[in-house]
Amino acid sequence: MQTRSYTEIPRVDAYDKVRGTATYGTDNNPAGLTHGAFTTATIGKGRIAAMDLSAAKAVDGVRLIVTHEQTGTLKPARFIMQHGFAFQSYSPVLTPQVAYRGQPVALVVADTLEAAIDAASRILITYEEVPFASALNSKGAEAVPQTEAATAWPIEDIVVGDAEAAYSAAPVKVDGTYTMSQQHQNPMELIGTVAAWDGDHLTVYEGTQSAGACKFGLAEQLGVSADNITVISPYIGGGFGQKNTMQSQQVLTAFAARELGRPVKVVVPRRQVFHDSSFRPATRQRVRLSADSTGRFTAAIYDVDAQTSMHDFFQSEHADTAARHYGYGAFRSFARLVRTDTPTPGYMRAPFEHATAFAIESAVDELAYELEMDPVQIRLLNDTETDIVSGLPHSSRHVSKCLSRGAEMFGWERRTPAPQSMLAENGDLIGMGVAIGLYAGAGGPNRATIRATREGVIEISLGVHEMGQGIRTAIANVVARHLNVAPESVTAILGDTRSGVPQMLTAGSWGSASSIPAAEAACEALRNALDALGTNAPEGSSPAEILTLAGRSELSVNAATFAPGQNKEALGEIDTGHVAPTGPMYPDFVTYSYAAHFVEVRIESTTRRIRIPRVVSMFDCGRVLSPRTARSQAIGGVVWGVGGALREAGEVDERYGGVLNADIAEYLVPVNADIGSIDVGFIDEPDPMVNRSGIKGLGEVVLAGVAPAITNAVYHATGIRARHLPVRIEDLI
Amino acid sequence: MQPISYARPASLASAISTLAAGGASTRVLAGGTTLYDLMKLDVEQPERIVDINNLGELAAFDTSGDELVFGALARMSDVSADARLTNEFPALSEALWKAASQQLRNMASLGGNLLQRTRCAYFRHGAPFACNKRSPGSGCAAIEGLNRGHALFGGSDACIATYPGDFAVALVAFDAQIDIAGPDGERTIPLSALHRQPGDNPRHDTILLPEEIIVRIRVPADIVGRASTYHKIRDRESYAFAVVSAAAAVRFEAGVVADARLALGGVATVPWRAREAERSLLGKPLTPETARAAGELAFTDAATRQHDAFKVELGANVVRDALLIASGRF
Repeated sequence: MQTRSYTEIPRVDAYDKVRGTATYGTDNNPAGLTHGAFTTATIGKGRIAAMDLSAAKAVDGVRLIVTHEQTGTLKPARFIMQHGFAFQSYSPVLTPQVAYRGQPVALVVADTLEAAIDAASRILITYEEVPFASALNSKGAEAVPQTEAATAWPIEDIVVGDAEAAYSAAPVKVDGTYTMSQQHQNPMELIGTVAAWDGDHLTVYEGTQSAGACKFGLAEQLGVSADNITVISPYIGGGFGQKNTMQSQQVLTAFAARELGRPVKVVVPRRQVFHDSSFRPATRQRVRLSADSTGRFTAAIYDVDAQTSMHDFFQSEHADTAARHYGYGAFRSFARLVRTDTPTPGYMRAPFEHATAFAIESAVDELAYELEMDPVQIRLLNDTETDIVSGLPHSSRHVSKCLSRGAEMFGWERRTPAPQSMLAENGDLIGMGVAIGLYAGAGGPNRATIRATREGVIEISLGVHEMGQGIRTAIANVVARHLNVAPESVTAILGDTRSGVPQMLTAGSWGSASSIPAAEAACEALRNALDALGTNAPEGSSPAEILTLAGRSELSVNAATFAPGQNKEALGEIDTGHVAPTGPMYPDFVTYSYAAHFVEVRIESTTRRIRIPRVVSMFDCGRVLSPRTARSQAIGGVVWGVGGALREAGEVDERYGGVLNADIAEYLVPVNADIGSIDVGFIDEPDPMVNRSGIKGLGEVVLAGVAPAITNAVYHATGIRARHLPVRIEDLI
Repeated sequence: MQPISYARPASLASAISTLAAGGASTRVLAGGTTLYDLMKLDVEQPERIVDINNLGELAAFDTSGDELVFGALARMSDVSADARLTNEFPALSEALWKAASQQLRNMASLGGNLLQRTRCAYFRHGAPFACNKRSPGSGCAAIEGLNRGHALFGGSDACIATYPGDFAVALVAFDAQIDIAGPDGERTIPLSALHRQPGDNPRHDTILLPEEIIVRIRVPADIVGRASTYHKIRDRESYAFAVVSAAAAVRFEAGVVADARLALGGVATVPWRAREAERSLLGKPLTPETARAAGELAFTDAATRQHDAFKVELGANVVRDALLIASGRF
């Protein structure tokens, strides 16, 4: 267990990134490269009756047009939650089917990108269209109780005590329904693939959060051995869950490259990314929350309808987090999945927790006003030592500390409780809001190989991906401490299936929690191996000094670690491209990361513009490995929360399906002018049980709870309770 | 691939003759910020492009005289930073710097900005959306669709696409004129006559002929400009089109309004001068109440639809705030 806090070091790959020397997936241009572009479906649902390719073929430079008529040998993708490798089970262009507007229906490959785009626009398609339901509230969108949805890992509704009885008997209660629009990740780096065959060996350059899934999933779809596939993804230009499994274009790009005998690059344009990748599902949540007269919660009843696709059940884990926000006396959840004619929704940063926190933390605020209690006090009062669902203890839960420290940093005591009671000099309404957020403390297996040389090189290979979160910096900081070397001397080989260690999906805030323990174990194994050289080197000698004394040029060792409750079977999963996370329920305890957010809003009384001059957020993520990148990730999460609360909505015209505002001019995310001061802090106490490094996740909890802290502040400012996200001007007029 | 012929004439006369020879599928390229965008979307599919960036005489602007003169090729960023504009016509400066992003303003020309086409998603994104402006006779998907950003004024059964620009809104408030060069020389029209309401023919946004180029914008350097503002309310604090905007200017004599200018953006098919609201203020002191009443008047005839009814109340307050900001500068 690490007892000391880590010191701050600069981001180790910052120079490479800002100078453009870091090579991202589709930066690669193998010799003989050709370029692909998709033709996409213009109908909401149906099938292709006929395709006329003649005009497209006539375009100068066109080499290949892939339609469903050529792809018969390809196997469909399998959905990750059915133990597959892809974000959905539906594979466009493998059949004449159209499952949703905007899906690819043909891939044109040409000598130039311009020719490919032009030819793709010249394919004429006759469709047979059928009725469709493109949004949560659309006619024909079928709601299926989650317990009846066939999935590989069924999720039960949660029942703790008799929540209905406790709720109806309670003296104070609230009943609110909270809705959220669908939202779309927009990483700067678009989805894209470069596929190059050398004989029967395929090399794929791709920005992916799971090089392992791509390797094994492509093998399955193409019908080749995974041994013949290399996937290289050393940097990702933002993933946020959108790139956490195989995407539609991968198998088609690899197929086209094989057919042509030349490398093919496909970069999916922004507009198509909106239409053919996963997204945060629209949700409708109902929360009934009750308390006794002292403010102690007696029951929470939580119902959620979450959007899924027609072809997959994207499971709702909303209730799992909802049940852990507080020590409710009783709890009952009921989840339904609403099937729509869309791509399968997916794991957009804090995929469930962002929505759940909005509903639960809004309800808590409403109840606090019913009780005339301070919103911080009611949260402190209802904190819990044990997990109400399992009865197990929390390995660590410092949410009350986050609330207390955050309140102090923010100056919460200056808040007067009544709505519309705080006015700025210019007449703006001032509102102050608080909310907490939770995210499961997951973990998983990881393999590591570490190599030290006499020249002072430390090279470590791990099964984790650098997505901008700064994992290379965290690894360098940890390895440097453990081996008593400078962080600059540590090179991390990540996201590369040639490294010899399996490249597990980096998602679910388990990247550090699964890979850092393996890095530590590898450092320890290296230390032991160096000791075994018998050099009697002085205490604190570096590996290079010991190797020099021993007359050795280098030394390499392996290590593997598991999360609590896991065994070798979990390694078998990641060795074959699957995921093997565990948590937050471990055999003897439950682990979550926590956030407390404090937000000040200023609302112009006439135009009702909402501005956010300042946010204070405090996090319990266990031990902080890299203070600088952790702070950066936290600030980024708060910014995302501002977007999630006030800006982001995928707009669906149900007559057409698809997304109307499918570009980042019209799909609004915050700009610099939207962001005031953001102060973040960390409890930085190691979790004593979840792993040897004392770390819980950070990347997602930073977002959880920002939105309700904002809407609670809006209520405080205006007396208007916003129960739909995003909140816009019209909601306050 | 559709071949495009590209010309970069060295003189205005040559540019005009190239345009005249090219016909309707010829487009003028200035800053390119709208044209290239719409070409990527296949909404614009020109066969010939006439790049006017060599016409240096169109790039100058002069704000020192009795008339503000802006060459059509002057860049938005340069003009917005002009000291006299900032001091004596803040509405014009603000309308420029509250538009787009710094990168776009560095590229975009004033003439091109006047001609910016609507942001209506059904117009921009092609099939399968019905759009009479893009594809005459196909219908208007917006009227029964997601019309939060559409026009409350100047629409028709065929089209309710909003004119998206800011600068033109401020300019019409100050009675700007534009000089248009064509094969027969120059003609001058009020800027308010440039844009067309859609009526039953939404295809053409303006009365500009294919062989014509806007060469300059002229604005009387009226004292009314000093107490002015361009108040732009949008869904985020920068880089967004107006939900509602108002260009407002006031001049007082003996404590009452002697001249008032008011134009609305984000809510009409063309830059929308609210003359009745202007007149309602004359002879009165400007108070929050009289300003609000003018705002209500400005939105009296608004044709609201499913998603934009809030703009009547919002708009009245935007006008109110704009007038008060402007009067604070008197």
